[in-house]
Amino acid sequence: MSGCWELQSCGQSVFIFMLMNLISNKYCAPVFAMAVAGIVAGCASTGVRNPSGTNVTEMRPDETGFVAGTGVESQDLVAVTDKMARSILGIPQIARAQGVPCVVLDPVNNETRFPINKDIFLTRIRVQLNSKAAGKVMFLARDRMVALEHERDLKRAGQVTANADPNVVEFKGADYFLTGSLQGMTTRTSTGTSDYVLYAFQLIDARTSAIIWEDSAEIKKQGLEDAAYR
Amino acid sequence: MKTLCFAFGAAVLLFLCGCVTHVKEINLTGDIMVDGPNAIANGPPRDKVLWQYRTAVAAMRRGNYQMSKEMLDHALLTLGGIYGKDKNAQKARSYFAEESRKTFIGEPYERVMAYYYRGIIYWMDGEPDNARACFRSGQIEDSSSEGEQYQGDYVLLDYLDGLASVKLSDDGSDSYKRAENLCKNFRKPPAYDKNANVLFFLEFGPGPRKYATGRYREELRFTVPPSPVHSAVITVEGRTITVGPYDDLGFQATTRGGRVMDHVLANKAVFKATTDAAGDVGIIGGAIAAQSRDHTTQDVGLGILAAGIVTKIVSGATTPAADTRTWDNLPHYLSFAAVELPPGQHTATIEFLNRDGQPMPNLTKNITINVPDDKHDKVVFVSDASVTPQTI
Repeated sequence: MSGCWELQSCGQSVFIFMLMNLISNKYCAPVFAMAVAGIVAGCASTGVRNPSGTNVTEMRPDETGFVAGTGVESQDLVAVTDKMARSILGIPQIARAQGVPCVVLDPVNNETRFPINKDIFLTRIRVQLNSKAAGKVMFLARDRMVALEHERDLKRAGQVTANADPNVVEFKGADYFLTGSLQGMTTRTSTGTSDYVLYAFQLIDARTSAIIWEDSAEIKKQGLEDAAYR
Repeated sequence: MKTLCFAFGAAVLLFLCGCVTHVKEINLTGDIMVDGPNAIANGPPRDKVLWQYRTAVAAMRRGNYQMSKEMLDHALLTLGGIYGKDKNAQKARSYFAEESRKTFIGEPYERVMAYYYRGIIYWMDGEPDNARACFRSGQIEDSSSEGEQYQGDYVLLDYLDGLASVKLSDDGSDSYKRAENLCKNFRKPPAYDKNANVLFFLEFGPGPRKYATGRYREELRFTVPPSPVHSAVITVEGRTITVGPYDDLGFQATTRGGRVMDHVLANKAVFKATTDAAGDVGIIGGAIAAQSRDHTTQDVGLGILAAGIVTKIVSGATTPAADTRTWDNLPHYLSFAAVELPPGQHTATIEFLNRDGQPMPNLTKNITINVPDDKHDKVVFVSDASVTPQTI
């Protein structure tokens, strides 16, 4: 459509050009210049933004990129999980534990308005703890129980070799559950959208159900879309 | 001097010819499953989300939920990241570019539906919390219109928000109360049944369409074709469940409130009308003055005539037309039902009823449902435009 309009404009410019030649007087030049300026202004590109694309830009996961919304993003994940991992290591039950406490990850409850891969928070906390405080906590791979039980059954059935008696229960029990919740609050008015997300994580004693540690992080973002979308 | 003038003119013409941009044309076959992916790959980027929306719902009706998921995920990424400066949107507000130059994300009712469909698929995939997140985002999208009286008033979004909470062992009573209060035109939704493990998401009737009115087509309007279907009946395992609508997309589209863009388009229309009138005055006045025997008056007349022509060109270049790109395969009514079925295979028949409560045989759908024994819900999506039989 806009391409057609431009062709039409160019046709109009031919008309103007001929007219100006016919009307050869001192008013011709400025008026002609105005006509051209007007047409060129109307001729502003109908092309796409960044027609050649944008080069791949490598960014740190903790920085805000040029593509951003008000939802949960990588920089939030990094900031929140770094804070939680540091916080967990500081509590006496972990820092001064007699043995190595076993921790099971219990899926995070997402109560925000943003659909997310909720496991990613606990995965990053686990990775941070394992890499920065190796040996202080032990995580149990409960999400792999089906495969683990299958392997144990094969050993029990003598179908595969075993280095220890497969009939002895060796799957460890949890000392603590690490879990959390994401809760949100949204305001949307003509002046924009505001999203507040509370990231709360807890370490729960598996024996007593006592919450032995809890910490949270809060992130609030606001944005306003172009008036063309409002 | 004349030669110089011609040379300059030729140069300007060449410049203007270079100014013509190739607009990507796509050949439409009428089959959305062909046209959609083609338009997304080869069409104008500004229409990408529109085709993703259309293709997503068409894929759902064919039982291709994977494709639908991919389409909606891409569309929602665009929708969620629309904040801040956007050159195309900026151009769409300028006098000399049409509103349809902006990247399409749809009017609030269209954005809501993108979240609604994605929510259904999340639930299908066993993620009711993410489904709930989508329903909540949908309700937020419905709160974006300027001075809108009917903000966030989708019954089903609040109802499903509460149901997902109940399924996640949370309290869904607030959401249920909100849904109940919002339900003014239709029968109230039933109380939550946590054990109902088969969830039917139904939709029927043709959805709203956009058109433009006004002298320069600057006023966005909606037309809502009457739905031949008014309710549905689900028959499964000897049980018959009558399902009426809970939400009317026609109502949602037409009660969206004003848009900031409406003011922009109105201003564009005023500018176009004013420059058009000024151009007329200039051309007529200039032509009359040019007839004079006095040379000075003649020169001034020609100048005014030329200025009038320029003003007419500027007026012609002003584009106040409203953006009427429409997600054209949306339904008219949304509905829902939940039943408890034992694990195993069941056959469900969904009949769509006309105004008189009579089944429309050409629209009857047969679906084979495999209910899992893992305590997860089975989600069944049925439209009067669904291609069946389906086994899910």
